[in-house]
Amino acid sequence: MTILIVLLSLAVGAYLIAVLESWAVHGRLQPARPAISALALLGRESLLARTPDRLLFETGPVLLLVAGLLAVAVIPLAPGLIITDMATGALFLNAALAYVLVALIMAGWGPNGAYGMIGGWRFLGQFVAYAMLIVMPITAVVLRAESLSTVDIVTSQSSLWNIAYQPLGFALFVAAAMGLCWLPPLDLPTAPGDLAGGVEAEYTGVRFAVLRLARMVIILALAGATVTFYLGGWLGPWLPDWAWSGIKILIVAGLMVSAGRLVPRVRETRYLELSWKLGIPLALGNIFLVGVIVLVVPI
Amino acid sequence: MIGARQGTMTMLQRLVAAAMSRDIRGFVVPGADVARAAGLDLGGAGLHLSATPRHANVLVIIAPLPAGLADAASVAYGQMPRPRAILALGSGDLGPLPDADATGPLTQAGLVTAMEDLRWVIATGSFRSDVDDYEAPTLQTRTEYTCPMHPEVVQDEPGNCPKCGMTLVLRKAAVSSHAGHAMPEKERDMPVETRVETTSAGHDHANDKGNKHGGAHDHGHAKHAVSEPLVQYTCPMHSEVISAEPGSCPKCGMFLVPADTKSEHAGHDARHGHTKHAADESPARYTCPMHPEVVQDEPGNCPKCGMTLVPVEEAVENSGHDHGAASQGHDNGSKSSHQGSHASHGNDVVIEGIEAHFMSMTDLTRDMPASEDGLKMEWIGVPFGPFFPGLPSGLRLDLTLDGDAVAGTSADSAVGLSELLHEDTTTPAAFVDQLAALSPLSPVAYSLLACLALEQAAEQSVPSSVARARIAAAERERLTSHFGWLAGFGTQAGFTWLEKRATALQLKLRVAPVIEIAALAPKITALLTRIQRTPLLKARLKGIGRLAGDDALPGPVARAGGIARDARSDDPIYTELGFTVLTATDGDALARLTQRCGEIFQSLELILKVGAIAMPEPHGIGTASGTGEAVVETPRGAARLSLTLHNGKVTAANIETPTAAHVDLIATVADGRELGDALTGIGSLDMSPWEVTA
Amino acid sequence: MTSQMIFLVFFGGAAVWFGVTVFRTHSMVRSALALLFSQTAVGLMFLVMQAEFLGVLQIMMMATEMSVMAIFMVMFMMDPGGMGAMDMTHQKRLSLWAGGVGLGAAMAVIWLADWGPPGGNLPETAEQTAELGRELLGRSMFIFQSVGLTILTAMVSATMVAIAPAKEQPK
Repeated sequence: MTILIVLLSLAVGAYLIAVLESWAVHGRLQPARPAISALALLGRESLLARTPDRLLFETGPVLLLVAGLLAVAVIPLAPGLIITDMATGALFLNAALAYVLVALIMAGWGPNGAYGMIGGWRFLGQFVAYAMLIVMPITAVVLRAESLSTVDIVTSQSSLWNIAYQPLGFALFVAAAMGLCWLPPLDLPTAPGDLAGGVEAEYTGVRFAVLRLARMVIILALAGATVTFYLGGWLGPWLPDWAWSGIKILIVAGLMVSAGRLVPRVRETRYLELSWKLGIPLALGNIFLVGVIVLVVPI
Repeated sequence: MIGARQGTMTMLQRLVAAAMSRDIRGFVVPGADVARAAGLDLGGAGLHLSATPRHANVLVIIAPLPAGLADAASVAYGQMPRPRAILALGSGDLGPLPDADATGPLTQAGLVTAMEDLRWVIATGSFRSDVDDYEAPTLQTRTEYTCPMHPEVVQDEPGNCPKCGMTLVLRKAAVSSHAGHAMPEKERDMPVETRVETTSAGHDHANDKGNKHGGAHDHGHAKHAVSEPLVQYTCPMHSEVISAEPGSCPKCGMFLVPADTKSEHAGHDARHGHTKHAADESPARYTCPMHPEVVQDEPGNCPKCGMTLVPVEEAVENSGHDHGAASQGHDNGSKSSHQGSHASHGNDVVIEGIEAHFMSMTDLTRDMPASEDGLKMEWIGVPFGPFFPGLPSGLRLDLTLDGDAVAGTSADSAVGLSELLHEDTTTPAAFVDQLAALSPLSPVAYSLLACLALEQAAEQSVPSSVARARIAAAERERLTSHFGWLAGFGTQAGFTWLEKRATALQLKLRVAPVIEIAALAPKITALLTRIQRTPLLKARLKGIGRLAGDDALPGPVARAGGIARDARSDDPIYTELGFTVLTATDGDALARLTQRCGEIFQSLELILKVGAIAMPEPHGIGTASGTGEAVVETPRGAARLSLTLHNGKVTAANIETPTAAHVDLIATVADGRELGDALTGIGSLDMSPWEVTA
Repeated sequence: MTSQMIFLVFFGGAAVWFGVTVFRTHSMVRSALALLFSQTAVGLMFLVMQAEFLGVLQIMMMATEMSVMAIFMVMFMMDPGGMGAMDMTHQKRLSLWAGGVGLGAAMAVIWLADWGPPGGNLPETAEQTAELGRELLGRSMFIFQSVGLTILTAMVSATMVAIAPAKEQPK
């Protein structure tokens, strides 16, 4: 039952985000657009590239979808409305999202095209740039909650949301999350201007539809994680718990999706430089700072 | 229209077809920049542009399709998933492509009508069963027979060579002259779901997997292979492997290289060259290519590593030798050669039980070329263009990538006129049109150039007011062209907001009268101010594509580097209007952006100062004779035209455009840079591949 | 208990099968990914055995580590896609022996060691994690800190060695 509700809300959320993304790209708000595009994709043929690594080509999009769904499994929408409240939820989220990398490498390598391959390996090259900035801010969040369980993390914020408690961690986490779901301006693995679609370039028809759906799920999972870790999850006055989760997740996902149209894509070297030289020290500093606050000021 | 599925339309199919007709994704040939310059608002007509033909269902062709792009366009069409359609705007020959499904004149209204037709075609025809398959002719192969001794003997039927009587051997050849891109035969009748699709040439997609192996060297070999059927292929490691076809070695998988010795029959007489020597001197002895200490009299496998033993002399030959010799041959679109790595085993200290240099990175990468960062790895050749979304359309760019850094470039223009004068005697009006057609991105500047040269040849001069109004037209075009560049930069950098705004302004300003331009001035100012303040923009452009000031730089690129070179400064009318040359200092992509923004302001001022716009038309040429020469600063740099007029007809003309200088700059801007930076640098040149004549 | 055994055997089998695949394929990328999924299967075995933290950690770390290995293989090996069916094995005899001896040793340890009676009630996952933390930051802290520093030093020096000195770099 819980699974059904979560999956249903996931579908609704994915649709709304798709509407927003098409607005960000095409500049017009068309509520029917994602449905039309999806139907049209199903109607187009699903091509195989010349001499592909068929196994990796087929597995990539599916693994991406599975990784996204597993990540969603530990996001609490309301007390009790969570697929599995693991004691290691925060770590599990990381583990599931690590397979986004694996899936993109497969999808990039599989079709046997240079653009996809470069896109896939590019994503791996950025690995430390985003992964460390996901893990380290989570460490600081977990430090405060004294638990890896996502439900405990939400309840730990009942007096003060983490966005106010550790704003630095929030900023780093959101930036890294955008890198992890390759949203502009960090869309380096697909980069239409550099790689003509990169990882996505050789996928058509149904396979492409799966790839796009998986991407939406991952965006929602990361928006859900942001809300859980920093925006107090379901906490909020007046409205029911699930409504608060839904509103917050949609706002975060919406901002993530639409921010990229206002700035040029970040250069890969610059992205790596910022993450390694600035992001990681800041994230370590954030852990230290939160540790001190946890010990000194009980909030 | 090429349908995808068999059978009649069911309810579901009708629904899907309706969805497809409302989800038109276009791949524009030659490119979005040309569409914008022609005044087409593709987005406004409901056409979403896609970056790759894989994601498109409509090939939008802005006719006439230049001859140099016909093959590439047909490949792009072949790459599109079915159902797919062709929308042709303007008139002209579509070359090897099937007939267009919807056509219209090259105007916005024509586009909108054609889009409606197209929607109807897709909604009704998506699931038609009576469709023909389409193969890009350049990718087709044909079977022919040739004599191993006389490569000039080629015929369609098997038989004997008329010269020497040898039996002709079979080979596959590309139908077109694209020697390096010969493709294996396509399977036509596969089910749709698994249809093997052709990629390469035109758009992109180097096929490389097995041959993700270095090196831009030596592209000659693939071509060699096609033109000279006598060549046999052998493995650089296993000389006993001889094959008539390129491919990979059945023993070690390395790519076979053309053997230099030509044996009489393919497949016969495996031993050749120096191997024979060994056989003459002594009974053959065999050794392991990896373990020189293993020597035995019998062929077999190495007791240490299991590799097949090779005759002794070859092993000597092999060790300490660079096998890199170019293992081209495998002509499937990707250009790569493998730099050998099993080098110099002979003189190493051998520790019993441990292979010398086992898994040694130094050894593995010894003979690989190193890029600027000093790291050695496999290089791949990747074609970009001529329809690449982040590059000027019509530019064919081949990059050798070392990881994702650019290790080598080769660029040329796939478009341009075959000749400046169609016939020896061209009327002045036709000549002006001809020159305007030379550059779809800046026709006015070239018309002006033609008019000035013609008038000088005829010793005519136009009234000052006309001259000024012409200048205003040229400046309007400069402004529009710079907005076009900004839109292109927006596309390349994923800066959607800029792309939309700049496109909108470009389309509005393209044919706007002075009064409208004046009304748009605040908008222009606002956009340019906002661009300068964009976060991450500096980080994206600073230091990219820096060019040192020297004489070869054209137009805005030179001025962005601090060189005050501008053909306009010699023009008395410009001086009268208070024109001064605007320069920036850094000479990088950011400076070029700033420079173009500055020039937009400057052009705006000039237009408002003149207050009238008139398109250049040749004035009072009559039946004059003489020679004329003129220089006009086009939006991309100075263009110089000299012509001879004889009895009112143009009999000879010669033009210099900034394009050649731009093409020469590409290597400087791209080499050694990360792929994204290299493309940004190339984009920042704002080159036009069109303004060339063969 | 039974379902636990079934899953354990299943994931164990998967780990072995992927492990064999590593050597059965010609493609470097497939090989690296097979190793990845073999390690993932080991992580799932941890999960089945209710060692949640270790399992999740294993699943997470191996995904990224094996991917990094894959890119190195692609960068430097000939024929990374396995299209040429190139034989990439070396020292077959030695490795067969080493593998055989290793297998024998592992078997010997498994069968000969005195494992003691089965553990009683497992602590809660959260408690397990806390205990692991106490162990790592208590008794074993010195070992882990020194190992960590050693690895860091090794990484830095490896990078230093890999970068050609400025004077040798091609201009």
